[in-house]
Amino acid sequence: MKIKLKFTVLTLCLLFLHNPVFSGSQSLSIKDDLGYTHVLGTPPQRIISLAPNVTEILFALGLENRIIGVTRYCNYPTKAQSKNRIGGMVDLDLEKIIALRPDLIIAFRGNPLRLIQRIKSLDLPVFVLESGTTLESVFSLIKRIGLVTQSDNAAKDLVDHLGKDLKKIRDRLKNVRTRPKVFINLHGKGLWTSGNNSFMNDMVKEAKGRNIAGEVTRAWFSYNREELIHKNPDHILILAKAKKDFLDVKTWFAQEAHLESIQAVQKDNISFLEEDLVTRPGPRIFEAFGQIARILHPSSFEVER
Amino acid sequence: MSKQKRTRLLSLLFLLLFAGLYVSLVKGSVKTSFVDLWNFLVHSDQTHAQIFMHLRLSRALLAFLVGASLSLSGAILQGYFQNPMAGPFVVGVSSGASFGAVLALILGLNISFWGFSLQNVFAFGSGFAIVSLVYILSQKRGIFKMETLLLTGIAAGALASSLTSFLIFFKSESFEQAVFWLLGSFQLADWNHIRVIFPIFVLCFLMSQWLAKDMNLLVMGDEIAQSLGCSVNRTRKIFLLLSTLLASSSVSVSGIIGFVGLIIPHWVRLLIGPDHRYLFFTSSIMGGVFLMFCDFLARTIFSGSELPIGIITAAVGAPFFIYLLNQRR
Repeated sequence: MKIKLKFTVLTLCLLFLHNPVFSGSQSLSIKDDLGYTHVLGTPPQRIISLAPNVTEILFALGLENRIIGVTRYCNYPTKAQSKNRIGGMVDLDLEKIIALRPDLIIAFRGNPLRLIQRIKSLDLPVFVLESGTTLESVFSLIKRIGLVTQSDNAAKDLVDHLGKDLKKIRDRLKNVRTRPKVFINLHGKGLWTSGNNSFMNDMVKEAKGRNIAGEVTRAWFSYNREELIHKNPDHILILAKAKKDFLDVKTWFAQEAHLESIQAVQKDNISFLEEDLVTRPGPRIFEAFGQIARILHPSSFEVER
Repeated sequence: MSKQKRTRLLSLLFLLLFAGLYVSLVKGSVKTSFVDLWNFLVHSDQTHAQIFMHLRLSRALLAFLVGASLSLSGAILQGYFQNPMAGPFVVGVSSGASFGAVLALILGLNISFWGFSLQNVFAFGSGFAIVSLVYILSQKRGIFKMETLLLTGIAAGALASSLTSFLIFFKSESFEQAVFWLLGSFQLADWNHIRVIFPIFVLCFLMSQWLAKDMNLLVMGDEIAQSLGCSVNRTRKIFLLLSTLLASSSVSVSGIIGFVGLIIPHWVRLLIGPDHRYLFFTSSIMGGVFLMFCDFLARTIFSGSELPIGIITAAVGAPFFIYLLNQRR
């Protein structure tokens, strides 16, 4: 009898131990975008972000106190600048990363694969996100960061909030019939632009514009000047760090580059987009999207509701 | 050069080698001191184990091995061509090897066994292909022409570099790879790289040391060498193979690092004379020490970011080289 009782107690104990409620999230594991398995243990407390957009998402999820390291490009929000710097996106300071003893490192597409493999080989817990090239993919990016940092609720709230912003802009553009031709000028005076595999292309498309470089399947490349004159864009969007750099490039377009004949130059439809805002797939990209939509279709935004 | 002088030079080099190893271990972006190193040696902890062993030591040793390999490869080629202009970069091996490595990378050939990856095989294969091509092209009716060989090497190397740049430009999504393959870096050095290059270096080093006497004979001219019992053709082939192996294995672990294979052997020749029995050995050590210090500078000169090592080797090496040449005249 006694033995039987003992046995029952033991079985019950074992049952409890195996019960997912009791072992909790300990046994849960997720895969990152490179296919590496990542086990969700206790919520990470020492997070290192390897990309500016990841840093922005972490801050937006309210994880400020758990971030212990960011790259030298992570300048937003301002508080990110006071965190430990662990190098740039391609020249990470591995020593510093080790010394910070992180329990989660979040890498993004811009981090070279070989670097990520090196981090892996040092037994550091790195989670790699690739994300897509569409505005929608930013939502899944935020959700996955929420998952791996175990702040799913905050992620859900953020996605809901941003989704509403996106919907507002889309509603405004609902009845737009025109599709102005757009040239995106990525960087300085070299006519670098985005092809169809890029966030920029998707944003222009969503904003009911036509990226004149959209048929090229490359994220970025240098556009041909003759082709630019031939395609004759209605708008030129210039990405720049600051207004001053923008003005430099703008005058260049009109004067030195001999592109006076283009519609956009003639009508002075040359607009400034803040580089950090537009190029980071994070919470602020919807703001950037709103700006592009306003530039291409100002009349849809005239009557504020 | 007298024996005493040679010994003095070698002891100085070994002293520098240990000094280089010491500073490479103790200095880095994370502040550590001799005390930390000592504590780690007495009772190791994981953080320091990773910093000292897996980052700093492996990196310093890899820089040494690559420097030694490139420099030995250059010493062999300079003796082989009897031309101070020769070096792994000049005869096209480096560019050829880097093309092979990038090609393997872009084709997604990520297979490896015992630390040797297909990338290494490709690097060696295309490095060797370029050298063979250059070698065949520079032979006319059985007569071997030195200057044709060097010029063909430069042209073939340029072609390989342009193909490499083409592959990187069109297929790679990151600029980092371009920097790595065209300027070289030890940023991602680890023990696996050492496992690849160490046996190759030791093998080639022993072989070249063993054949150094024959190289001394070859320098006197093929007829004399033949009459003194050296089988010229075979020896030549072996030396070409050794230098290719050394240079391409270096390129496959660290990208193209210029200048080491050209200036170090030349400098050693100026210092200790043309006897290859000492030249090979001293060039290896000196090349290793030189590159180890260059890499130390590359990662510490600006805190928080790294310079591609090719910038340092050229910036340190070139002025010094010009100075040496001027002095000799």
